Amino acid sequence: MSRMPLAAVFRYVVLAVGAIIMVTPFIYLLSTSFKPQAYVLTIPPEFIPNPATTANYEQVLTSHNFGLYFLNSTIVTVISTVLSVLISSMMAFAFARFKFRGRELIFRILLIGLIVPAMMLIVPQFVLAKQLHLLDSLVGLIVFYVAGTLALNTFLLRGFFEAIPAELDQAMQIDGASAWSRYWRLAIPLAKPALATATIFTFLANWDEFAWALTIITDQDKLTLPVAIQLFQGQNATEWGLVFAASAIAIIPVIIVFLVFQRYFVQGLTAGAVKG
Amino acid sequence: MTILPTPLAPAGRAPEQDSGARPAPRRAGRSAVPFGGHRRARHSRKAARAKLTPYLFLAPGVALFAVAILYPITQAVNMSFFDWQLIASATSEFVGLGNYVRALQDDRFWLALANSGIYMLFTVPPQIVLGLAVAILLKKRSPAQPVFRALYYLPVVTSWVVVSLLFKYLFADAGLINFALGDLLHVTDGATSWLANRWTALIAICALGVWKGIGWSMMIFLAALQGVPRSLEEAAIMDGANRWQQLRAVTLPAIWPAMLFVVVMLVIGGFNVFTSVLVMTGGGPGGQTEVLLTYMYQQAFEFLDFGYGSALSVILAIVVFVLAIVQLRVFRDRSGEAYA
Amino acid sequence: MTRSRITAVGLMAAAALTVTGCTAADAPSDGPVTITFWGSYGNGGNSTQQDALNELLIPAFEAEHPDIHVEYVDIPYDSLLQKLTTSAAGEELPDLVRADLGWVPQFAELGVLVPLSQEMEDFDELADATYPGVLATNLYEGEYYGLPLDTNTRVMVSNQAALDAAGLSAPPATFDELRSLGDAVKGTGTFAFAENKLQAWNIMPWIWSAGGDIADPDLTTSTGYLDSDESVAGIQLLVDLYVQDAVPNLIIGNEGATATSDGLPGGQYATILDGPWMRGVWSGQYPDFDPVYSTVPAGDGGSVSVVGGEDIVLTQSSENKEAAMEFIRFTQSEQFQIEMVKTGQMTVIPEFAAQQNEIEPFYATFATQLETAKNRLAIPDASKVDAILQEELLPAFEGTISVKEALANAAAAIDPLLPGAK
Repeated sequence: MSRMPLAAVFRYVVLAVGAIIMVTPFIYLLSTSFKPQAYVLTIPPEFIPNPATTANYEQVLTSHNFGLYFLNSTIVTVISTVLSVLISSMMAFAFARFKFRGRELIFRILLIGLIVPAMMLIVPQFVLAKQLHLLDSLVGLIVFYVAGTLALNTFLLRGFFEAIPAELDQAMQIDGASAWSRYWRLAIPLAKPALATATIFTFLANWDEFAWALTIITDQDKLTLPVAIQLFQGQNATEWGLVFAASAIAIIPVIIVFLVFQRYFVQGLTAGAVKG
Repeated sequence: MTILPTPLAPAGRAPEQDSGARPAPRRAGRSAVPFGGHRRARHSRKAARAKLTPYLFLAPGVALFAVAILYPITQAVNMSFFDWQLIASATSEFVGLGNYVRALQDDRFWLALANSGIYMLFTVPPQIVLGLAVAILLKKRSPAQPVFRALYYLPVVTSWVVVSLLFKYLFADAGLINFALGDLLHVTDGATSWLANRWTALIAICALGVWKGIGWSMMIFLAALQGVPRSLEEAAIMDGANRWQQLRAVTLPAIWPAMLFVVVMLVIGGFNVFTSVLVMTGGGPGGQTEVLLTYMYQQAFEFLDFGYGSALSVILAIVVFVLAIVQLRVFRDRSGEAYA
Repeated sequence: MTRSRITAVGLMAAAALTVTGCTAADAPSDGPVTITFWGSYGNGGNSTQQDALNELLIPAFEAEHPDIHVEYVDIPYDSLLQKLTTSAAGEELPDLVRADLGWVPQFAELGVLVPLSQEMEDFDELADATYPGVLATNLYEGEYYGLPLDTNTRVMVSNQAALDAAGLSAPPATFDELRSLGDAVKGTGTFAFAENKLQAWNIMPWIWSAGGDIADPDLTTSTGYLDSDESVAGIQLLVDLYVQDAVPNLIIGNEGATATSDGLPGGQYATILDGPWMRGVWSGQYPDFDPVYSTVPAGDGGSVSVVGGEDIVLTQSSENKEAAMEFIRFTQSEQFQIEMVKTGQMTVIPEFAAQQNEIEPFYATFATQLETAKNRLAIPDASKVDAILQEELLPAFEGTISVKEALANAAAAIDPLLPGAK
């Protein structure tokens, strides 16, 4: 009986030690963003900024149209994440719940898309985007962000859809439910933890994407945050206080998305199945 | 004169950052695979429509993928057979397999391949073991659970460039690691030049990879663990199974598809390590810590040798693709599924 | 430099402006044409250069040329090359680019740049006004593909306190004095000299100052030059100091070693070689540090440093070449050059040097050093040369092979890259 609290204490100690290791560099980043002057990475590291200043944040927020870049990033990331998760969940549903000609072949081709280094595709994609008149536009970002995250999300969601017990599916079919309603009313609600995971990862990937945005966006009013942050890194000197302050601001939306979507984790498959 | 190329999560997808999970509780032993019920369709018209259904679900995604990813891939593969000229109007000389032969004879390519492989070997298992351990510890509902989940996930959301810089300073000659090992623990003399030597530099780079990746695999395992029917676990406990037996007999089989996804994605991500190497060592000293992608980047974007760069990418893709297919087969066989 | 000569040049430039200005005005035009100019003037968080360009210089230019609108686009420096490369592939380059001088031959070879020496009738006048060494970085296969925009070089920068501690009153002026400094710092924990890498930018000052070179003037062979006794002497100096712990392992590429920008003001490094930009960095970070500037220590070849800087180039895809060339002329004007001097860019026109040194006396050492400074190899494969040097010289520092062997290996690898050898 008395073992239970002890086990719980042990569990918390292990978790806390791990959490400290995970968080230390991040705290370092935050503290640096509050330090005055360039090159604030002192050795050995100082965790308490002395003197502390909010000058870096003020400069970040007032220079370079930061608000506009933040808005651009938000628009692009939200739209591309929604589209990517929707389209790839449809593909995953097809792979998981149907047997059809070319299923494994198409899936493996998708897998190739995951594996070819994206850097190598930049030049052909750039030429393609030019032909499609997608250069220098947020639409150009969205289209390629969606395309770029499809394979991964499909791969991820396929497993979750496969895991849905066949009995539920068959029961719905006997009731005469169409494929679409089995997808929308059964698969999607039951795969909430997976969809939340896919949403969190896709949002992060698109929010942080740099190379493609750098390549196709030239109009300074259409820049996204990662490129704008890179502008704080100079040729001969980088003001790390600024870079880290900008990075700290840029992390906020990803954390919000994480906190919002992670609550779907408490609704497990079993709970859903009982309800279904 | 530093030409520190871009920190990039490659266009639209960074295998180490985005992706997800695929848990699927398998009813132990049995393998009744549910494939829609279209075989039951009685009327031929209905049957024809049912046959079309999966393709309709696939159509939007496949179309977009074919145009924006597949077509550029064929272009990139095509490039690898040429001494490729960047400018469309210039004529590129066809060299057949020349770029591939060159790679096989290129010592620096082999070194980079070895380094990528080493990185993969030393980052994938720790991320799986630690990620799963944290997920199991965090599965139980408690007020502290969401807080811990967020804390473990923080490294994942912080950009690669920023965390690479942080680790570079942690592993600097006068950095926190040397301070801790030397002045605090007295394990070393505290004067290790971590980034000046191939092996110690790889340790530092791998440490970053593991630290940044634990939260990612934890997320997927957590999502997967939600799918493990509680009744199964309870049954195991009733049978008198201890924690370890419960893990092996119930939990692991139940999250096997998620495990497969994590392993495949981490192996792909491991071979695609790029930003951390670029920022922490720049491939140095003297190219000793170059990995495949940094070497490819140098060939393509610094030397403008896109033909050779493409060939390196294709080789990388083939190696990883074969590994992925092997993993899919092995895992599928183990999970007793017949349709791999 | 007499005042009248400066006036004369100014008048000439003005005349050139009016002549061509008319040509541009003759062209039928509906409204002002827009020319795009890419660069990395936005120097990190410090926007003084970009501000001078956007708020002072471009408005001044547009006021004189109402039919031309100039749009400057700031690109992160570390990513400029990649953006240029992909844009070149998609034929989406801007009209004008401020290019690192090492990139000009590379892009000229690609065929994306306009040979200015062919297309600009007044090119020779403009070119003759610039430092020959800087101008030469634009030369590719007999034509000039750009004009110098700004320049810099590396000089010796010392920490006086560290020198004092080693018993030196002045920075080492010769190889021998640097060697003595190396002996003097033994056991003190201070390094006599620190260097970042082993690329051409880093090692060529020592090779040239020792009387060596990387290749013959016609660029036919590196073997016989890079591995000559003179070149060996230059590198041997660094290796000897490295072996006796007077040079830190930063030089072989240890990214974890203290950076020169921190080690010098911190007193860990007594001397380094660096450019004029560091002054601004230090004044922000280490306000108490008073750097001492002197010329590169002289060897048998004198005191010879390396030329750095940026060129302005015109792309083939530009649809408004005349207007763009007009802006190029403007960049060579006294107004443009002097305004940029104020923001920390050295002028490429010797006639303005006196004025520059008056504005910022600190530039004097750099101006002196520039008089003899040389270029790195201006070849399309210059970046490969850097990779070769870095890789082949490493074993010499590790002591596994001799300097002579290492340089011979590097020379053999560089030989096939030289245009004269092809």
